[in-house]
Amino acid sequence: MTLIECRDLTKKYGSHTALSNINIQICRGHIIGLLGPNGSGKTTLIKLITGLLSPSAGAVYVNEEPVGVKSKNLISYLPDHTYLDKHMRVRDVMDFFEDFYQDFDSMRAYDMLNKLDINPNHKLKTLSKGNQEKVQLILVMSRRASLYILDEPIAGVDPAARDYILNTILSNYDENASILISTHLISDIENILDEVIFIQNGAIHTHASVDDLRLKDHKSIDTIFREVFKC
Amino acid sequence: MLSKLLKHEWKSVTKVLFPVNLGIILLTIIGSIILSTELFDSRESFPLALFLLILYALSLMSFTFITMIYVYVRFYKNLFTAEGYLMYTLPVTPIQLFHSKFLVGCFWCTFNSLLSVLSTTILGFCAGFHAAATDNMNNLVNFYLDGALSDTMEKTAETFSFSDAFGYSPAVFILMLLLLLLTCCVSSVLMGYLSILLGQLIEKYKLAASIGFYIVIYLATQTITSLVMLIPNLHLLMSELEPGENFMSKYFINFFPVTIVSQMILSIIFYLASHLLMRRKVNLD
Repeated sequence: MTLIECRDLTKKYGSHTALSNINIQICRGHIIGLLGPNGSGKTTLIKLITGLLSPSAGAVYVNEEPVGVKSKNLISYLPDHTYLDKHMRVRDVMDFFEDFYQDFDSMRAYDMLNKLDINPNHKLKTLSKGNQEKVQLILVMSRRASLYILDEPIAGVDPAARDYILNTILSNYDENASILISTHLISDIENILDEVIFIQNGAIHTHASVDDLRLKDHKSIDTIFREVFKC
Repeated sequence: MLSKLLKHEWKSVTKVLFPVNLGIILLTIIGSIILSTELFDSRESFPLALFLLILYALSLMSFTFITMIYVYVRFYKNLFTAEGYLMYTLPVTPIQLFHSKFLVGCFWCTFNSLLSVLSTTILGFCAGFHAAATDNMNNLVNFYLDGALSDTMEKTAETFSFSDAFGYSPAVFILMLLLLLLTCCVSSVLMGYLSILLGQLIEKYKLAASIGFYIVIYLATQTITSLVMLIPNLHLLMSELEPGENFMSKYFINFFPVTIVSQMILSIIFYLASHLLMRRKVNLD
């Protein structure tokens, strides 16, 4: 069943076209890598799906509904930067998510905080940057959402933290849900991906299953990426 | 969902604005204590009294300024910076986001204005009472002790009644004052929000554009309201006062309704414009 459908999706900033005629479908139960170099349009596409940007042309449908209150209930989104009020305590942020998202599992969230030794009574601004990112990931992955959209979840953290983040993602998502991960650190995540979308200069270059690509080229996704986007 | 937004908005804003407004209460208590002492009884203490008066006025203005600026900053930061990524991905409509900030912002601005008026009234009362008690002016002391309102309501041969002086009975005067505070606060909050929303229409330097829009709207509204007030005031200056009438009461009779209605009209215009802009498609940088 189609979870996301982009139809002739275009986004322009003045005269610059960030995305041009994107047509993709994402089905349930898949982990999809949204891969592309910096400035290729990954974050723009994600922001259009989450409703943070409005398309210049075309449309996005989430579960066959246009982007709106209903679609926001289905999507759990992790942006590529901190979006929480740093003056809030971790506990207050948990309460905030619990109030707005019926699918938020606070028991699971507190359990993950406990495992990471993060005190819920601490203010976010007193936590290290890495721990702030982990709190955000815990919030996002503690929802029973239909679609998780993770924008650069492993950028800027050490390899040990990367393992933790990837384990958290894999052990916390529902089998019927899909995960769209945007990154350029492909070697770290390629083993968990079912599909990849290569995006280049605002257009879809490739949208295929990881197994098909590997069988066809006999190369890893990381190698294929490096060849496709060679400077 | 609006109630949940209001709950969290209230929690976040109160954390900052409660201590600010507590400052006004503390300032009033300290001022009342100082005024009840003999500190200002001698002529030599005039410079100190003047200094403290200026300090009090500046502090009061700062508390009001901080309250208003924080309400604007909260709206901008929470909706149009990184925090907007969280707010706009919540399962709520942009209008619900706007209403939650508007209601909480209006409450705190009105509360702050009310506290400022109460503070000046209390300190004025304390200063008058202390002066009357020190100078052995028994009538005036009794006036303060018996209650200012009940005494001034009854017109005597020597004095004007409250209605003669201000054009309204004390109860109506207070009601008018409250309405004035409320309408001024609502229009001020909406003016800030509208400026921020207009700034979002500009591609670059959105914050600077918002400040620019604020200055333009502020100057325009000040000019309009001054012109609106000018007509009844000119009429008042040119007309002859009948026996028993005084200028101040006639001024207040015009001032309150004209100002309240003009602020209401401005608020409606600002609200409709803000509503329209909030309904526009979201485009967060």
